[in-house]
Amino acid sequence: MSGEQRLAAPMGLLIERDQPVSFSFEGRHYRGYKGDTIASALIGNGQWLMSRSFKYHRPRSALTMAGQDANTLVQLASDPNVLADRTPIAEALRVEGQNYAGTLENDRDAILGKFGRFMPVGFYYRAFYKPKGIWDWWEKIIRKKAGLGTVDLTATAGYHDKEFLHHDVVVVGSGPAGLQAALTAADGGASVLLVEENTLLGGSLTYSRFESTGVHADAVRSELVSQVEQHANIRVMTEAVCNAWFTDNWLPVIKGNRLYKVRAKECIIASGSYEQHVVFRNNDLPGVMMCSAADRLMKLYAVSPGKRAVILTGNDEGYLTALNLADQGTEVAAVIDMRAQPQSQSLADAVSQRGIRILHNSTVYEALPTAGNLHVRGVDVRTISGQGKVAPQSEIIDCDLLCMSAGFMPAYQLLCQAGAQLSYDDDKARFELTRLPQHLLIAGSVNGVYSLDAVMNDGKRAALNALQSLGLGQAQTLPEVHCEQQVNFNWPIFKHPQSKEFVDFDEDLQIKDIVNATRVGYRDVQLVKRFSTVGMGPSQGRHSALPTARLVANATDRTVSETGVTTARPPFVAEKLAVIAGRSFDPYRQSAMHHRHVALGAKMIPAGSWQRPAFYGAQERRLECIAAEADAVRNNVAVIDVSTLGGIELRGPDAAEMMNRIYTFGFLKQPVGRTRYAVLTNEQGVVVDDGVSCRFADDCFYVTATTTGVDGVYRNMTRWNAMWRLNVDITNVTSAFAAVNLAGPNSRKVLEKLTELDVSAAGFPYLACREGEIKTPLGNIPARLLRVGFVGELGYEIHVPSRYGEALWDIIMEAGAEFGIRPFGVETQRLLRLEKGHIIVSQDTDGMSHPGELSLDWAINRKKPFYVGCRSVDIVMAAEQTRKLVGFTLPAALMKSGSKPEEGHLVLRGADISGNITSCEYSPALDAIIGLAYVGTDQAENGSQFRVRVSGGREVEATVTALPFYDPDNQRQEM
Amino acid sequence: MTSMTPAAAAARSTLYPKLSDAEFAPCADGSIAAGFGADDSAQATRCGLMDLTPLTRTGFRGAQAAAHLAASGFPLAEQPNQASVTGGGELVLRLSQREFWVLGSLQDMGERITGLVAAACPDSGCYPLFCQDSHGWFTLTGDAGSAVMAKLCAVDMRDEFFPPLSIAQTSVARINAIVVKHSINGVPAFSLLFDSGYVSYMWDVLLDAMQEFGGAAVGCSALR
Amino acid sequence: MKIINCPLNGPRNASEFVYGGEVKQMPDPAACSDREWAEYVFYHYNGTGEVREWWLHAPSGYWFIVERHRVTGEISRTYDPSELDQGEFFASVPGAAEEINS
Repeated sequence: MSGEQRLAAPMGLLIERDQPVSFSFEGRHYRGYKGDTIASALIGNGQWLMSRSFKYHRPRSALTMAGQDANTLVQLASDPNVLADRTPIAEALRVEGQNYAGTLENDRDAILGKFGRFMPVGFYYRAFYKPKGIWDWWEKIIRKKAGLGTVDLTATAGYHDKEFLHHDVVVVGSGPAGLQAALTAADGGASVLLVEENTLLGGSLTYSRFESTGVHADAVRSELVSQVEQHANIRVMTEAVCNAWFTDNWLPVIKGNRLYKVRAKECIIASGSYEQHVVFRNNDLPGVMMCSAADRLMKLYAVSPGKRAVILTGNDEGYLTALNLADQGTEVAAVIDMRAQPQSQSLADAVSQRGIRILHNSTVYEALPTAGNLHVRGVDVRTISGQGKVAPQSEIIDCDLLCMSAGFMPAYQLLCQAGAQLSYDDDKARFELTRLPQHLLIAGSVNGVYSLDAVMNDGKRAALNALQSLGLGQAQTLPEVHCEQQVNFNWPIFKHPQSKEFVDFDEDLQIKDIVNATRVGYRDVQLVKRFSTVGMGPSQGRHSALPTARLVANATDRTVSETGVTTARPPFVAEKLAVIAGRSFDPYRQSAMHHRHVALGAKMIPAGSWQRPAFYGAQERRLECIAAEADAVRNNVAVIDVSTLGGIELRGPDAAEMMNRIYTFGFLKQPVGRTRYAVLTNEQGVVVDDGVSCRFADDCFYVTATTTGVDGVYRNMTRWNAMWRLNVDITNVTSAFAAVNLAGPNSRKVLEKLTELDVSAAGFPYLACREGEIKTPLGNIPARLLRVGFVGELGYEIHVPSRYGEALWDIIMEAGAEFGIRPFGVETQRLLRLEKGHIIVSQDTDGMSHPGELSLDWAINRKKPFYVGCRSVDIVMAAEQTRKLVGFTLPAALMKSGSKPEEGHLVLRGADISGNITSCEYSPALDAIIGLAYVGTDQAENGSQFRVRVSGGREVEATVTALPFYDPDNQRQEM
Repeated sequence: MTSMTPAAAAARSTLYPKLSDAEFAPCADGSIAAGFGADDSAQATRCGLMDLTPLTRTGFRGAQAAAHLAASGFPLAEQPNQASVTGGGELVLRLSQREFWVLGSLQDMGERITGLVAAACPDSGCYPLFCQDSHGWFTLTGDAGSAVMAKLCAVDMRDEFFPPLSIAQTSVARINAIVVKHSINGVPAFSLLFDSGYVSYMWDVLLDAMQEFGGAAVGCSALR
Repeated sequence: MKIINCPLNGPRNASEFVYGGEVKQMPDPAACSDREWAEYVFYHYNGTGEVREWWLHAPSGYWFIVERHRVTGEISRTYDPSELDQGEFFASVPGAAEEINS
């Protein structure tokens, strides 16, 4: 088919007639022009049918021609739910319809419309939940029937990203109000961002006539646009949508594949208003559209929307559309005005002068369809006899186009997101948005002004207010702009005994669906929405909100203001998750030894933000690798990268006092060169971190913290000291040091080769710490050495400035080679520490764990006057205890039956739950399953048994076992 | 300039395995990526990224820190979050009333401040910081710098709002960072200092953000 | 996103900050009753009006005080904690004390 029957210029602002474009729809080939949307090109070719409705599969076509409805959702190859009236055609573009069985023209599921009475509102909630389980069966069928579009599961992620922008003034919407506001603000010296959803600047100026001659709007538009485009202070962003308003004018603006995070000092919303439909039977037929949609088809795309038109209007806009149509050669059979008289008599006269018949106090009661409801073929016109009522006498007028305008609703979404209150004057049928936050301004028809001069004045007024707030310009202001033009007809809703008067096109909701929702007890419009799904479709209530509010108000004897509209939430229009995800910033940290781990085949796992080796070897040999690594630690020598361990340096005269107030132990008399276990409780007395405190000088402590806890510990310390004001410097040195734990009976032999320090049992005893150097052929490395016992063998932590981390790793592996040293990972370390009964804070503790439950009484100095949490610890430990963390064992044989308890499994007492498993592993050294668990205090006695419910609901009996499981006298670590 | 392999010294930037195309030169007690090829200079003027992590730097905090630095002859900015620059090209960052960082100069490869690093601090009220090891140091060079930063950081870094020698302690690609605007031989530059554990992450993030501006890695000699 | 004006770093997105709880006066843990201590630790005023809060500017590690309205969220003032008297934090200011058992 060819698309050449277009209207003559100046119609067709967007199309380039010398650049034809071929595309296909439903397998048939069509031609359009560059600048066409899919919808304009299809209608230009006489192809009206674009989609089938969600529930009844009714034929649908363009309603707004502005991407504001779901009627034009189509499928592209890898993109479902694309708006045909927003998406440009491209050469060889393949477009398909959605949501039909068979063909779009002949949809077998259209029969669903006949069963409408069996699918009442709230159908899903009411019909499918009995008997139990029936929904699972129904769901598959309904999902298949109700789904829209197909997702391309083979699609690959495109490149999406984000950018921050900063402007003095952001203007959303480039209609006459937005253009004028941008110009005024820019003239005043502000840096302005003008955001426009469409390709052309001008908003309603691009398609609306504004007055009877139809020449003024074009002149105003070209003047404003050329000034805006040339203005050095204005950045224009077209085809960009401001998709939300967040606090302090934080605006996500999406353009193409980029999300701009815009911060505006002042924001002017000139988002305009949405033309509203009239609710009558068959108001969804193809060929029934908004007046503005017909205007857009002609003006933007040079497409004639029909041969013989009827206009149904509740305001003067319909008269302007009648003139537009008549000018472009469409026969206008009648203007049917729901009002008693027009507001502008001269406009009515201009219409009459073209020989167009005007009917007052009348409405379309029903649109008459062609076969299969594929198009409108005429209208049944009646006299309005009361609110929503019509006289029995009917007149049939033949037409292939019905343009309607019940009024205009402000595009309130961004403003309501900002907390604005939308109110409605029932007498004047006028909206008002109030209670705007500071620095958020509003201009144009969204502010209830409609005549062109008033709209532009309003834009100027808003911009001057913004300038005043910015301290720019002449500090001149304008008074509130008033506009007498009324645009809303107060009851454009006409019930028909055979229904199909659609309130919500997306969800196929009719008058009775809304009214019935109120009858079953839902008075609140929010509840009506959830029960009926009104406003939940892709157009998000742009057209259904107002008739719903009217119907609910009427049914519950309230006003529209009292009923209100449902909450507007971001996003304003559908947005792709890819845009939100953008380039994902997923930060990770690697230690200085990272590349060595990778070269050794480490299986890396996350630990907080760090990447750490879990073990070295293939995943499928996990248990084998861990056992071999554990064996090396227990019987030979092995090394683990502990760089991720937190480190905090405290220096200054009050360093010891600081330690003493933060941690539970006593630190004032900690000798230099010795370490001490440091437990941290919060003010609730809960254990929140632990580490090792090293004193390197009277006024210098180096204290370790858990990998994931260190940032919190550091913040805590600095916050407390903002109150205590001790003379101490606190520095988070976590990343400044790379560290290893060299562990195993042969570790001393390895270390001896690397340092001049006396590392003998006497010269460097258990729990001592030293500063010294590690010798390497590339030069000596300054190091801090700690004798620790976390894994329960002779061992040394060696901390070096991180730049030397890799060299440290290399020299240790080299020096240990003669002993067969091997690296070990976090999983092995977890097993080894469990064999020693050491807790890991946050794995073996929870938000209630106090030191008593963890048997850490020994780590508390009860005689010092204060530490954070001291009073709470005293209180909870004096109270009756309910649970205790204990060690337990189970026979190794349970491994085979898959009954090993896992973290989180429940500990039982009779039928009750008394605790849970926190750690559990198979210990090769002990050939038993060992673990830690919270149990009731009455279950905590050594040798007693408690039951654990494991996977599959089975229960096993665990035996409480004294800790540590391995080397109970701690002789090995103290060698 | 002599070249060397990073593994030939005990001190290394964690990033070196990612810089296999670079020629390395000695720097402090390690090595630094000095050049990536003949085009380095033009690349750096347009949009380049240097790993200056090995270059010498130090910092001091405490009530006496300002006095200590002033006594050592370093000019100090009046206000926090402002930097000053010495005649030799060192940058002195004032991060708060009582915290200062000194970044070595490319002119002498940080040589001049080794004395400051080694010198004794006053007995109390002045604590040397660990920024040589705790932080990585990248420098984004060239005219596209502000535009690259706008993709990663919510602070407006255009010249009108963030003039040279401004400092922002902020979040860059979700990582806490100190950003200082300066210039190297007249070429605009942003130096970023951030937790050294993130060097690999940050390197990739920056190069990716630089892509649309034709950015690439450059050596520290590019703007000599 | 909300903007918080950091006394050290100026106005920044709220995402750069970490909440540190309300500014509350700690009763003397050695002298107060269990009830008083529990109120300090667990009970939080949940009414309207101004509140003083701790906020941390994470990139610079700087703690400061925010005075904020509980209903509107509007921040009236931000300042360095040194502007508050220590008595605002503690009923009895802790002093260095003898450690008896170390």
